This record gives sequence, structure tokens and C-alpha cells, in this order.
Amino acid sequence: MSRRIHPAVVPAQPFQLTARETFDGPIFETEEGKHRLEAALSRYPTKQAALLPMLGFVQSVKGWIEPADMVEVAEALDLTPAYVHSIATFYTMYNKHPVGRHFVQVCTNISCHLNRAEEVLHRFLAETGTREGEVSADGEFTVIEAECLGACGFATVVQVNDRYLEDVTPDRVPEIVANLRGAGDGGAPNGSGKGGDA
Amino acid sequence: MAENGAKATVTLKIDGVEVTVPSGTRVIEAAEHVGVVVPRYCYHPGIPTRPAQCRMCLVEVEGRPKLEPSCTLQAADDMVVNTASDTARTARQSVIEFLLVNHPLDCPICDAAGQCMLQDYAYVTNQLESRVDEPKRIMGRDRISDDILYFADRCVICTRCVRFMRDVAEDDSLIVAQRGDKAYIDTFPGRELDNPFQGNIVDVCPVGALVHEDFVFKARSWDMDAAASVCPGCPTGCNVTIDTKENQIVRVKPRHNAAVNSWWMCDYGRKHLVMTNRGVRAELPLIRDGGGDGDGDGGELRPVDWATALDWVAEKIDALGSPGGSAVVSPDASNENLFYLRTLLDRLGVADADFRVPQGETAELPTVPTLKLRADRAANAAGAGFFGGRRADGPPNGSAGGALVVLDDELEGAGEDFGASADFFLYLGTRLPGAARNADAVLPIATFAEMDGTFTNFEGRVQRFHQALRPPGLARPGWMVLSRVLARLGDGEAVDDVRGAFERMAAQAPAFAGLTWDGIGLKGAPAAEAAGVAGSAEAGA
Repeated sequence: MSRRIHPAVVPAQPFQLTARETFDGPIFETEEGKHRLEAALSRYPTKQAALLPMLGFVQSVKGWIEPADMVEVAEALDLTPAYVHSIATFYTMYNKHPVGRHFVQVCTNISCHLNRAEEVLHRFLAETGTREGEVSADGEFTVIEAECLGACGFATVVQVNDRYLEDVTPDRVPEIVANLRGAGDGGAPNGSGKGGDA
Repeated sequence: MAENGAKATVTLKIDGVEVTVPSGTRVIEAAEHVGVVVPRYCYHPGIPTRPAQCRMCLVEVEGRPKLEPSCTLQAADDMVVNTASDTARTARQSVIEFLLVNHPLDCPICDAAGQCMLQDYAYVTNQLESRVDEPKRIMGRDRISDDILYFADRCVICTRCVRFMRDVAEDDSLIVAQRGDKAYIDTFPGRELDNPFQGNIVDVCPVGALVHEDFVFKARSWDMDAAASVCPGCPTGCNVTIDTKENQIVRVKPRHNAAVNSWWMCDYGRKHLVMTNRGVRAELPLIRDGGGDGDGDGGELRPVDWATALDWVAEKIDALGSPGGSAVVSPDASNENLFYLRTLLDRLGVADADFRVPQGETAELPTVPTLKLRADRAANAAGAGFFGGRRADGPPNGSAGGALVVLDDELEGAGEDFGASADFFLYLGTRLPGAARNADAVLPIATFAEMDGTFTNFEGRVQRFHQALRPPGLARPGWMVLSRVLARLGDGEAVDDVRGAFERMAAQAPAFAGLTWDGIGLKGAPAAEAAGVAGSAEAGA
């Protein structure tokens, strides 16, 4: 099925959830991968306990987690791929669909909503030329609506990859998008911020 | 709560009835002792884990402010439990109401209708109308394995299937994906379940979410007849229930027996049993009496009625005396059939009866050591051993002279001349294979599913099975037929009831000494120890 709808914001479509691309290149054979895995395993009593950090690491590298990655994580942690699949789907903040290089999450909870978050969201969609959850044609952007990002003092809050943009108004959106497009302000690809910390 | 230290039993009161149970017993099980079945979804007696997540079995305990899940609550002394108080009933009704928010009302096309725990409890709790205006969540259907379908919309996420696979079969490949109202049961994308015991997840499903594909839309529960039986797939002898519709086996479910198969059975057994519907059957007695040319021999096999066939066979055997010879028996024949055959063989002076046991893959259910798909693919090799059976390999040998008697062996690999040189070739069978072409008489008999009888399992446990189907044509149980042949020869009486056959066997065969048909019951009983389990290659294994 189409990947334009982000699973975090609309009812899941369980049997069309899987994208069929395969991941080329084992992620845990890279230097970074080896290091992250080792670090995580040294921190917990069981291998299973390292599952969430490892999924987070995969997402920080690729932006999303596809079935082939789940298999790889399962092998690294002596789990079944099915179990990894169940955990990855339980948590909505693991992306099971591809996202653009800049993953834009616009908070629309109450404080932001009162500060024109809906307009900000629509402006982002218009500027990037996407619908919600969709990857833009150039692969740069995915824009979704997010629940409270915990920065209500600075509404409207927009999270771009791992970076917070505060006090965003609809008028600032074109500039933000232009900057992201030009300089990769959000960190490329998807930065190496908190999402990947083991 | 956990005051089960030194005391062996605790006494509590459930719905006003006092009951004493072993300490450590959960309230949901203690309630069954007083005839109260607390509604449940996630609890299953055969699955060790109890997440108490369905909230159906909540009961009121006097002196406690909140309802408690009776599946995990340990029975304790002086506990006063009320399973049907207003509070408990209201809680249960709320659970049902929530489940029905998304559960489709497709009972008319659902295979579980009539045997559905959601349907039952919806009626019990009188939860017949919904207060929800929103449209129902629609998820669709998935394939869990090559023969199991998953109707996600019907699922109540009790996770019995996931926990059977994980905690009983120790196979971590079935999981709950997503969460909340989006949760559904799934395997890893692109993979299917591949476990020799996976069929049990269909049996534990309390609703119609998991269905065997070969059963889907095939029969309504109220159209089926059920018979207690024993799986003939291997010498384990899993206790099963055979569901039939219009004289066809449509479904097989395991029947609980703690000493044999617990609550489960393997997939091979299920398929093997449903397969017994297939094939062309022997339906009429046939004799080769020369077709009226006067000499009473030779000519073509011709169909006759039973009285004629039995008279003619008895006459032939009487004339033969004790010529010796050979016999081929099926290790799938019942104890009673084998016993009567042995009596006849003794009269003919035939010592050995060869039986051949097909071999197959084995499979074990890790947490249930008594349940194993064994390599022998036959129900009653042990019984065949009791009655002078001799385990043999290769094609059956039918070249000897004297008498040749075959009991339900399909004579695979036998040559054109099988039995041609025998003085008298008697074939008793459920089917009529080409190798029976030289038979002097063919007597059609019933399969195990078409009669009452017993099998002896690998460890010498004698287990009853009951008639599930009508035999086709004139086929009749082997013991019924053989007892009539013997009666015509002055040996005993013709029996019409399996009890008569079993009684005579118990009186004359040492292995069955002391056993009675009623005494065996539906759970089986060990054969006399002294007799050993000669026929089983796996005895004691």
C-alpha cells in the first residue's frame, strides 16, 4: 500500500505495513554499529534489554526501520525477528515507513494549537509539497503532526530530526524550509542525536 | 494472600459454597470444583502464563476494595469469593461492551458461532446493544501459516495463541504487533508459522479469529456431531474429539488427557485424521465360490450378503483344519480386531502375523514430555505385538501355502501372485487393494472412526475410541465380523456390542486381564504390566 500515511498519526493498516525494500549492507558490521552494539550490551544484564537502544540506533542511521533491519537486530541480540517486529510496532515513534532526510514533527497539542500550530503544519505541507506522512519527491522532507513535545513555553514547537525549533510562526516556515533544503540544518541524514544514544 | 506455607489445603467459600482445595490453587480453578465457570479469555488451563489481561475473570472478594482477577488470585483460608455479585457482573459487562466496540457482528459467517466465548458472554451479560456510534475498526484477514487464517477484526487479543507458541511450544515466532485497539496477532512480515504443533492455536482461540483453512465455512457448530476418539497417527494415542457432518470428518480437536497429550495434539495427527475421509472403500462381502458351477470353488469374486459370506468362509475354514500358513495384519487395527483375528489364526495353526509400520519424522512439544509425534506411523503396533504380531520390513510375503489371512493391510509392494499359492486366502479390509485379487473371500470392515474399540499406545495404555461415522455399504467392525465367523465354528458367540468383544478379550488375553470397558473410561488405563509392550519399537523410550 502507499506509504504516504504515517503510522504514528493514523490508524495502522496492519497488513500493508511492510515496505519491501531490502537494506543493503549489514548495519552492525560498520564501525559505528559494532561500537554501539558493544556499548549497549555492556550496559544491560541481558541482550534482550538492548533492543530499544539498538532499534533507536538503526532509526538514527536510516531514518526508519524496515523488516531487514529487524532481522539484523534480532540476530545481533539472539531474538526472533517476530519479537523485534512486535516491539518495533508497539512503539509508534519507531518509523516503520521511510521518512525524508528532514523529519518534521509539528506539535499540535493545546499550547501550540492556541499559537496557530495548525497553520504552521499546513504551511510546512505547502512549502514541502507533501501530504502528511509522505516523503517529498526529492526525498528531503516528511511532515507529520506530533503530540506534545514538552516545550509548551515556546509554542509552536517543531521538531526537525533531533532538533527543536521554538516559537515557530507560519511566516517563518518558508525560511526554515529553505534553510533545511540548503544547509541541511536538521543534521544529515537525520543527525546523530538522542534517538541513537545507546 | 500467599499463606500457603505448610498447609496442604485451604478452605474458602465461593458463591456461598464451601470448598477445600490444595493450597496454591487459583480461585478460577477452585470455582470449577463447585461448578462455577468464571468467564475467561486469556486464562487457559494448559498455558502456564497468566497475564490477567482480559479482565473477564474479575471476582469480588469480601473485605477487598477492588475486584481481583481470579486466574491469578490464590485461594486462601476464609476467603469469601463472589463471582456473580453486581460489581463483578457490571465489570464483566463493561469488558464485553469494550470488546464489542470493534468486534464485527459477523456471527452468521463466523466459524466459531455457537462455540464462541464472546457470543456466550455477550448473551450472559445481556450486552446486546452498543452505545457506540463510531464506525468499527476494520483490519481484514491474514495468513498465519499454510493452513491457519487470522481474522483480525474478531480477535480479542487474549494472547492465548501467542502464549501457546511461546510458553508451550517454545517458538517465539507469533507475536502481538502494534498496541491498543490497533493490536493484532502476526508473524514476522513475509514469514509464516512453521511448527508441528501450531494447529493448537486454533483450538485455544476463544473466538473465531484463528481458523483452520480446511475447516473455514465448512460446518456450523450446531450441524456437527462429536465423538470421543483417539488419534491413530502415531503410537502416542492423543485423545481427540472427532467432529463430523453428513458422515464426513470435518474437524479434529484434542481432548484433554493429562497422562497422554495434555490439551494438545500435533498437526500431523489432525491432517491424518481428516484424510481418512478419502479413498474408495470395500463395501460388500465378496466370495469366490465358483459362481454356481457346482464345485463351490474357483471362478470370479462375487458380491454376496453377509450371511452367505460368513457361512461360506466358516465352512472353508472348518474344512481346512489346521494347515498353518501366514498372516499380514495392520498395526492400525484395534485390539478387539487383533484379538479375534488371533483366535482365528490359532485355530488355523498360524503362529506369526507380520505387521509393517510406516516411519515418519518425529516432533516433540518441549514442555509436554508425554506428547510426541513418534516415528511409527501406526496407532496400535503395541496391540499387534500382544497378539503374536511380528514387526516386518519390505513387501508382505504371500507366497506360502496353507491359510493366508490379511487384516486391513493394503499390501503395498505385494506382487501379482500374492496369495496365489495359498489354500485359502481371506482378506478383511477397509479398502480393496489390487493385491487382494487372489483372495478367496473379501470381508469389508469398518475403519476405527466407524466403530467402537480400543488401541494400545506406545507405553501400553489401552484407550477407547467411539464411533464417529457410519461405515459405508455393508462394512462392519472387524470384531463383529470375526466373532460371527468364530461363532459359526462353534467358538464363542457373535457379538454386536464392543463390550462383549472387549470382555472376551479381557478374559482370554493376559495383556488385558482385569480391564473392563467401563473401567477404562474415556481416559484409558494401562494394560497389564506383565504382558510388556512387545510390538512397540519405542517401548520404554
